[in-house]
Amino acid sequence: MKKIEKAVADAYFREKNRYMVIYFIIWFIVSYGVVLLAEPLSELTLMGGFPFHYFMGAQGAVVTFIILLFVNAKVGDMIDKKYGIDEAQNIKLSAGKSVDH
Amino acid sequence: MDTQFLVSFSIIIATFALYIGIAVYNKARATSDFYVASRGVPPVFNGMAIGADWMSAASFIGMAGTIMLLGYDGLAYIMGWTGGYLLLTFLLAPQLRKYGRYTVPEFIGDRYDSHTARVIAAICTIIISFTYSIGQLSGSGVVIGRLFEIDAKLGTMIGVVLIAFYAAFGGMKGITWTQVAQYVVLIIAYLIPVIFMSLQLTNSALPWLSYGELVGKMGELDRELGISEYFAPFTNGTKWQFLALMFTLMCGTAGLPHVIVRFYTVATMKAARWSGAWALLFIGLLYLSAPAYAAFSRFILMTKIAGSEITNLPAWTKSWIDTGKLQMADGNGDGVLQWSELIISNDIVVMATPEIANLGVFVIGLVAAGAMAAALSTAGGLMISISSAFAHDIFYRVWKPNSTEKTRLSVARWSIVLATLFAGLIALNPPGAITQIVAWAFALATGTFFPALVLGVWWKRSNSQGVIAGLLVGLAVTLGYIFAAKYGGFTILGIIDTGAGVFGATAAFLANIIVSLATAAPSQKIQEEVMDLRYPEQMVYKDGEVWMSEDGSTKA
Repeated sequence: MKKIEKAVADAYFREKNRYMVIYFIIWFIVSYGVVLLAEPLSELTLMGGFPFHYFMGAQGAVVTFIILLFVNAKVGDMIDKKYGIDEAQNIKLSAGKSVDH
Repeated sequence: MDTQFLVSFSIIIATFALYIGIAVYNKARATSDFYVASRGVPPVFNGMAIGADWMSAASFIGMAGTIMLLGYDGLAYIMGWTGGYLLLTFLLAPQLRKYGRYTVPEFIGDRYDSHTARVIAAICTIIISFTYSIGQLSGSGVVIGRLFEIDAKLGTMIGVVLIAFYAAFGGMKGITWTQVAQYVVLIIAYLIPVIFMSLQLTNSALPWLSYGELVGKMGELDRELGISEYFAPFTNGTKWQFLALMFTLMCGTAGLPHVIVRFYTVATMKAARWSGAWALLFIGLLYLSAPAYAAFSRFILMTKIAGSEITNLPAWTKSWIDTGKLQMADGNGDGVLQWSELIISNDIVVMATPEIANLGVFVIGLVAAGAMAAALSTAGGLMISISSAFAHDIFYRVWKPNSTEKTRLSVARWSIVLATLFAGLIALNPPGAITQIVAWAFALATGTFFPALVLGVWWKRSNSQGVIAGLLVGLAVTLGYIFAAKYGGFTILGIIDTGAGVFGATAAFLANIIVSLATAAPSQKIQEEVMDLRYPEQMVYKDGEVWMSEDGSTKA
């Protein structure tokens, strides 16, 4: 094993958390935010009849959640790559760790 | 015996033969296989298995009907049951995977280094999974009972035998691949009727794009009838109840033991991330379709059934009126059935709509098979959680640490059989509607595991006294609020029993934090293990330093 700078490891953790905070802000706006403002938003209509608040509850929020999860998976892979994380090593390491009792 | 019975029966038997065949083929032999399928399930398939595990009788049978009856207020279920996957995939799943324990009680017991916490967590797992499974068994009872035209109680018993059989003999490995098959069956069964109705009503094969038009039209019909519009917000409860229910369903999703255990079946943290994304994509297919299903059903009922002569109703009405879930009485005696004279239970909307829309015997049979897949797959996952909480966390880790693998496997199997029988016994006389029972299970998970897991992963200072206080306070507040709201009429801001999790979680977070700060910090080793969860497997936190493994080992 090779020691790495604490600052590098902290940067990894912070970078992942920064993205996570962004995802959670979007998550909050499309679900809780739209519900809180449901009455004024119901004046808007789209796609041939959907009131906006209804569209967000039935489809908009769910689609946003799915996109955020895939973005997170992809961005997570990119951050891992940037810090030189090798998935093959991860598989070996976690296989060894699961039978420790 | 009519054609419908024969067609439905054949489809159900064929799909069951498939599930049982897969379970027998994968018959588990070793303990680690039994619980977590050897941690080698690829993310796409694990996503499907999570989907089948996740989409229960409440999602498949109950949800579209709930939305049809509650209108906008029912959408709290859609957003709550999908939005929770972000909490789960960002805050918990990869970290729990790196920690590498078999079950949720095992994580809590080892992370907090306390057998007391382990046993309380195991008991919470059993309470949550047991509550949830009662809903599934009573759901399967309704489907089997309606389909074979036998008593729903007898239907429940048939469901009990099936679940006990393949959960006890297949183990998780059998269940993982069985659940992939179940996902495929249930999603096809759900989408076909929605697409057919969309073609019938809007000439479009894409219901997700076409039903907006009907939602608008129904608003006009509602205004003419002088009732509140279908899409009008907060007509069936306060805004706070909507938000509390959504919060409870989201955090419950992230704290349900039988869902979290799925993330131990993947190889790494990276695979856990991808499994979460695939799972929500597969789940989203059904959740995006449920409001369309609801809109089409309501539109057909409003325009084709309401307004018919009472003596000239279609044949399908009789069999559903016989179940007691549908009422059509000519209240004002004018010989015509008005919209307000039609009372339909939310639990039969999905099952009855293919008959109402006249989609043919094959589609009706397929929907019944899909509903069974939803109820049985979730019940199977729940039974594994109960058996591992008992056989692994209580029996092996605390009670008899010297027991052999053979004994433990047999304890696991017997606990599945007994838990299924006991849940079946309660399901014969269920204490509430399917969705209500399921929402209680979510509230309990929100009030107990969600705070314990989030603090366990993200706050190294949280200690055993804190988690014990948090679990007990959260459980007491959640249970107390459910009973006070359901039986005592006690509510805060109009939040009823199904939104109880918001109070349970707040109390549990506070109790855990306050008690942890008032008592000694956890050992250095535990704090380092928590720090280690910040990084991928290859980065290891040790003695205040971070090390990078380059040869797949953690040796210096």
